[in-house]
Amino acid sequence: MQFKDYYQTLGVARDASAEEIKKAFRKLARKYHPDVSKEKDAEQRMKEINEAYAVLSDPERRAAYDQLGKGYRPGEEFRPPPDWDAGFEFSSHGFSPHEAADFSDFFAQIFGGLGGARGFRAAAGRTGGAGFRAQGEDHYAKVYLDVEDAFTGATRQISLRVPRQDERGRVTLASRTLNVKIPRGVHEGQIIRLAGQGSPGLGGGSPGDLLLEVHFKPHPRFRPEGRDLHMTLPVAPWEAALGAVVSVDLPSGPVKVRIPEGTQSGKTLRVRGKGIPGEPPGDLLLQVQVVLPPADSPKARAFYEQMARELAFDPRRGD
Amino acid sequence: MSEDEILVGSLLEDTWLTLEQVAAACDVEVDWLLAHLNEGLFPQVASVAGVWRFSTAALTRARRMRQIERDFDAVPELAALVADLLEEMDALRTRLRCRGG
Repeated sequence: MQFKDYYQTLGVARDASAEEIKKAFRKLARKYHPDVSKEKDAEQRMKEINEAYAVLSDPERRAAYDQLGKGYRPGEEFRPPPDWDAGFEFSSHGFSPHEAADFSDFFAQIFGGLGGARGFRAAAGRTGGAGFRAQGEDHYAKVYLDVEDAFTGATRQISLRVPRQDERGRVTLASRTLNVKIPRGVHEGQIIRLAGQGSPGLGGGSPGDLLLEVHFKPHPRFRPEGRDLHMTLPVAPWEAALGAVVSVDLPSGPVKVRIPEGTQSGKTLRVRGKGIPGEPPGDLLLQVQVVLPPADSPKARAFYEQMARELAFDPRRGD
Repeated sequence: MSEDEILVGSLLEDTWLTLEQVAAACDVEVDWLLAHLNEGLFPQVASVAGVWRFSTAALTRARRMRQIERDFDAVPELAALVADLLEEMDALRTRLRCRGG
């Protein structure tokens, strides 16, 4: 496990005041906010920044980190001595299990048992109560699927990092792999509920559920919007001008689409019920793109010259 | 559970979540959500027969508002305003993507 320099992550000196740390965090939180940042690695950077701030903004954790990290450099191999935290007393400043799942192994190794994940701490404190019974918490995670999965259904292996409490009360991060059947007809933003796959219950209570929020990976051809499916349809000039029936390949197989006579480039054709399946199914929206054949042979050039002479067509004329 | 076992999930067709489910998914207290609901900061969340029903869009909004409040010590109304702008941006980005942009 490599040592992490949280001061370097936030770009502050080791003796920075709490106010300076907060200011640095806000500046970086604005820069790397995943919804607006143009940086490629914004999401990952934001996790690192959150982790560093979770430690340095808490006086107790910061003191422990400072003592433990003396003499270490970023990236250096690190292993905390056993019971290194014996002399510390930690308050209940907590971070949630969901946040802990986003943090590094380094964080989990050091702070897993220190005023840690409040869900686990609360749970540990309640297990002794006679007759106490509680349902486990629901867990929430995002899952990224291929658009094709929505058409055919699929079984996907999904890896999650989940915080678990060991017998000493420390929270560690464990990898959990699930094989999940993706129902046909799933669409962006929808939630798949896996009953009983959340936190275990207490005192015989039923376990929580795992809620998976569906997102699609970017696809070179298909652009889903709810159950509707958008795609660009390249057509030849004569298909657009004269009308034609063309074949469009979809994940469910090819469909025949009629292009009306006189269709202009940029026009959208709606094919009802051929989008993502469901009740009701979505539509297929084809944005027509007229593609010109290259004038790269004497014969092709002759065709274009003939059209120029005989059609008297001016695309810049308003009427 | 063995790793080979295949879990079959149920699809929440209308994707309604309860107050408690949203609170757990966003790491917030139920009271935090109720206070924001009472201030009208979740315009798309409806109470049906006394039960709050959240869509997945409201879940995303709750997570965003909580993050903005926490990271920038923002007052709830400001967090809601930022969430409004981010939702508008999401809608425009989706339209742009569907047009192949």
